[in-house]
Amino acid sequence: MKTLTKIALILVPAITLSVTVAAHDPSMHAKKAEKADCSKMDHSKMDMKDPVAVAMMKKCMKQGKASMNKMDHSKMKGMDHSKMKEKKMKKDDHKNH
Amino acid sequence: MKILKLLLILIILGVGGVAAVMYSGVVDVAADEPHSDFVYWLLEETRETSIKKAAHSIEVPDLSDPELLLTGGVDYEYMCSSCHLKPGQNESDMSLGLYPAPPNLAVADDSHKGHEHGDEMQSTRKNFWVIKHGIKASGMPAWGKTHSDERIWAMVAFLKRLPTLTPEQYQVLTAVD
Repeated sequence: MKTLTKIALILVPAITLSVTVAAHDPSMHAKKAEKADCSKMDHSKMDMKDPVAVAMMKKCMKQGKASMNKMDHSKMKGMDHSKMKEKKMKKDDHKNH
Repeated sequence: MKILKLLLILIILGVGGVAAVMYSGVVDVAADEPHSDFVYWLLEETRETSIKKAAHSIEVPDLSDPELLLTGGVDYEYMCSSCHLKPGQNESDMSLGLYPAPPNLAVADDSHKGHEHGDEMQSTRKNFWVIKHGIKASGMPAWGKTHSDERIWAMVAFLKRLPTLTPEQYQVLTAVD
């Protein structure tokens, strides 16, 4: 019983201290490579003469193209192209142009 | 002859005094103990005057290309933001721990107490010089040793717009491709 008490007396403060030391997590200092979050961009409010707006558009377009290129079509075995209807556009469909 | 003797005594006293201060250990070099107002002023005036003189003749290129914001933004995020902060951030481990405290570049120039900016052109030249050459014993590295002038100018272009950016704009501009 005495040995158990001694172990507890050593372990409890040791664990408490180590938890305090780990409180400032080293991962807080790690930089993570983030993708641009383009979902919050409101194009209607963007002044395309402003270099910031132009740069943001460029970044998001570049990111969009990159993610399209990353798609590996050869691995898409389940895709049945025959079931994919190709929509042919008629001249009449262009009502607004 | 008397004057020479007096000069020699003064020199010996001066060198002895400096050596005594150096080797006595009385100077507190801890970064969490600020300089006295006088020493701070002395060092700051020396720094600002030196930078102003060194950066005086730097030719500023056209910094209006939006592409510069993308190159400079990514570099700023990875090289500078941990000390100089970003929109929506008020402090970091580095901004609190370094002495002298690095200026918060995400806010307008007027908010940087003790740092002289002058007109816009002077401020642009100064930013380029400081990024390229760094500042001794301040924690500011000389990025020119590893980065081309073009990349440094891109960072300068980004710095000009940084105080006007929202956290969302900053995120997009500084994200990796």
